[in-house]
Amino acid sequence: MQKILSKNKLTSFLESLMKNNQVIAPVREADGKASCFNIIAKQDIKNLYLDKLTEVPFKQFLIPENEILLKSTKGKLIERSDSKNKKNIVFGLRKCDLNAIKILDKIMHDSYYIKKRKNTILLGLYCTNPDDSCFCNSMELEGVENCCDLFFYESNNNYYISVFTKAGENLVKNLPEAKREVLLNIKNKKQLPNKEIENEYQNNAWEKDSNKCLSCAACTSYCPTCNCFDLKDNLDINLKDGERIRKQSSCQLKSFSRVAGGKVFRDSRLSRFKHFVYHKISYFKKSTGRYMCVGCGRCLRVCPTKIDWVETINSIKRGK
Amino acid sequence: MTYKPTPYKIESMKQYTEDVKLLRVNAGINPMPGQFFEASILGFGECPLASCSHDKKHIDMLVRNVGNVTGELFNLKKGDSVFIRGPYGHGFPLQELQGKDLLFVAGGTGIAPVTSMIEYVSQNRKDFGKVEIYFGFRNEKYILLMDRISKWKKMFNVSICLDKHGYVHEVLGKKDLDLSNSMAILCGPEIMMKSVTEVLNKKGLNNDKIFWSMERRMECAMGSCGRCLIQDVYTCKDGPVFRYDFIKPRLENEEASNRVK
Repeated sequence: MQKILSKNKLTSFLESLMKNNQVIAPVREADGKASCFNIIAKQDIKNLYLDKLTEVPFKQFLIPENEILLKSTKGKLIERSDSKNKKNIVFGLRKCDLNAIKILDKIMHDSYYIKKRKNTILLGLYCTNPDDSCFCNSMELEGVENCCDLFFYESNNNYYISVFTKAGENLVKNLPEAKREVLLNIKNKKQLPNKEIENEYQNNAWEKDSNKCLSCAACTSYCPTCNCFDLKDNLDINLKDGERIRKQSSCQLKSFSRVAGGKVFRDSRLSRFKHFVYHKISYFKKSTGRYMCVGCGRCLRVCPTKIDWVETINSIKRGK
Repeated sequence: MTYKPTPYKIESMKQYTEDVKLLRVNAGINPMPGQFFEASILGFGECPLASCSHDKKHIDMLVRNVGNVTGELFNLKKGDSVFIRGPYGHGFPLQELQGKDLLFVAGGTGIAPVTSMIEYVSQNRKDFGKVEIYFGFRNEKYILLMDRISKWKKMFNVSICLDKHGYVHEVLGKKDLDLSNSMAILCGPEIMMKSVTEVLNKKGLNNDKIFWSMERRMECAMGSCGRCLIQDVYTCKDGPVFRYDFIKPRLENEEASNRVK
């Protein structure tokens, strides 16, 4: 099924969604602030950031930086009570963002995540201007739309909306139907054609990159699929109340693989850097059949020393 | 899956050495040998601990006082409550081990996961062949689970190697062992398991007959947090017991890149 929405009616469409739901969309609140997904109110609609990919990925709503899992008082456990939240409707997810959610669904198995995911309606938006760091076309983009509820294609002054689920259909039931072939292909300048790096683990080319690496973990915090976390307990100063939180962490930090007694299993920058690249391109593919990287290029854009591991893979492959 | 642990009352805390105690709780869970639990104290955190028994009524866990959480666990007393979730992971491959001669080699607190398997063997004695056990400890003061070792001595061939007699792989090297129908089960510091594996290789036991019970920081225990990844495998979900020929290339890769600083 396909529906049509004229572009100048987007504001009223989003406002109508806000009545019964919480709407999340990409915004840039002020100049100098990073563009990110945020819960929006009516007055924020003018700040919508739809021209480009957001700098900060959507993942914070599914796996927040700090999430309380359990609370305790005087040695007794109190289950987290999730108030009956309104449904979350996320507008403006690019194909790479959707791809990332698909991947997170494969990694996160806990009830908290699953509940949150069930409470979320995904509205995708076709990407018209990928930049120099994007290489999403190389990362299994076909058919990604299927995992969202509605997908918005932009054409002239209209959005053509493909409907994929019942929940999505309910949101657009008042819009007129349309029938238009939307054949679109995202074109990337950057490509990662050959991803066979399994036998290149000992290649010296990685050292050139890891020598520049500061182990700052910016790549993993901006990556839409990086989910590594700590489980951490906080004890209140009264020594009676406590909470167990899930805290985002990163494989780029030395402490991440440390065990009791002080042994660190990924001790060098090289091994941590390669762990990131290989997890994205090789390990996850081996165990689940798909790449963990979605080619959004956020890690490349955000790296303070401009490490371009995609180019490194390409040069390794060209050299052969 | 959930992170919610269940509280259990501690039935006993038996002290073996200065920094090691055996924590026993009454719980109707019967973990498979080699599996592990996440034990925690609210407000302090969780830590992965190997199950050291094969018993329908109890969970036994060896606690060594090395960190924040284990330090708190160590100070618990009979009657206190401890929060536990699990069991997690694949234990020892019982089907593969059936009918074989077993060689157990463990060092220090590495005795913990191996213990659950030895208990299993002692309960199902007729399913297994000859059993040889080698435990390495620093000195007399560091010997763990002596009460169980004395019990096993009646059924199996148990050797205790103290460092003054030579490391456990050196002791093994001098022995004349018939390993033609054997499987080896190893647990301890990686450097020890590596040396023992080399000795066993020399004696004709191939890597596909050797199982390592590995240590990593298993935080979520359900294959999400990424902490315990050894390259592409999760120690919590795919392990913690690995056949050595499977895990060897992965360990070698990591070790090689750790050499470059």
